[in-house]
Amino acid sequence: MIYNFILMNGYGIFVWSSFIITFLVCGIFYYKTRKSLKKYEKEFAKEIEALSIEQKKTVLENSKVASKVLSSFNKSI
Amino acid sequence: MFNLFNNSNIFGLIEVLINFINSIFFALLLVALSFALIFSPPDYLQGDSVRIMYVHVPAAWIGLASFTCISILSILNFLFKIKNFSLMTKSIAPIGLVFTCIAIVTGSIWGQPTWGTFWAWDARITSMVILAIFYLSFIAIHKFVSEESKAIKISSIVAIVGLVNVPIIKYSVEWWSTLHQPASIKITGTSSIHSSMLMPLLLMFFVLILYCALIFLMKYKTEIIRIKKKNLKRL
Repeated sequence: MIYNFILMNGYGIFVWSSFIITFLVCGIFYYKTRKSLKKYEKEFAKEIEALSIEQKKTVLENSKVASKVLSSFNKSI
Repeated sequence: MFNLFNNSNIFGLIEVLINFINSIFFALLLVALSFALIFSPPDYLQGDSVRIMYVHVPAAWIGLASFTCISILSILNFLFKIKNFSLMTKSIAPIGLVFTCIAIVTGSIWGQPTWGTFWAWDARITSMVILAIFYLSFIAIHKFVSEESKAIKISSIVAIVGLVNVPIIKYSVEWWSTLHQPASIKITGTSSIHSSMLMPLLLMFFVLILYCALIFLMKYKTEIIRIKKKNLKRL
């Protein structure tokens, strides 16, 4: 039964290669997108951390995005 | 109304949506794959090769829909000058390109058992290749034009010109005699596809749409952070 499922009456090579290509490409695309997001989050958080206490306070008060990125970065380390 | 497009307001929502999609995605993918590969019946003419449809058709729909979205957002950006629209188009374009390429490659694989060839310069296939070229141009402009406002302007023109290609793709199978079969699913009128195949197709489409939403949200979030990072000193 499994053998028939893999062969798909002779069309297995076409069907499986289509599905594998699709999900492999989607997987790589997801991985690259996530990696780039994490890289930007990390760089941004590090730049905020590098600011003086006064500047950091102003940035976190003025930008919700900055405070959220910094808090999630601090959670992850 | 435009306060809705404020990055700070959107950012929190993006995080919630990403977590929600991540939590349901794999369960839905398993269900959709089970229907596509196991429960749906083989076609009376094409046999099991019809299962390629479950990745090929949703990929083509997403490729077309993404470009339509990019074009509409580009027009709106021209009219209302909302910067977030250009961030959105920039985030959608790679998704559209990936799915257009998937549609072309899986279509080519499907062509071998049904038409006896991997490739033919058929009207539908050629217009899909042209769509991929439009996507590539759009992405290349954002990558290689250093001045951002200029890049947005040129890429918007490309997107608006490329919109002409969308109806050509849709109606190519009716306007020219092609190897590609006409549409089996119609929004208005009766679809010629049986419900036992339509259901897995719509399920796969829904799962791939969720995947696109996930990628879009991550890319959009990256763009927001990139802008905030650039303007950090001004904060």
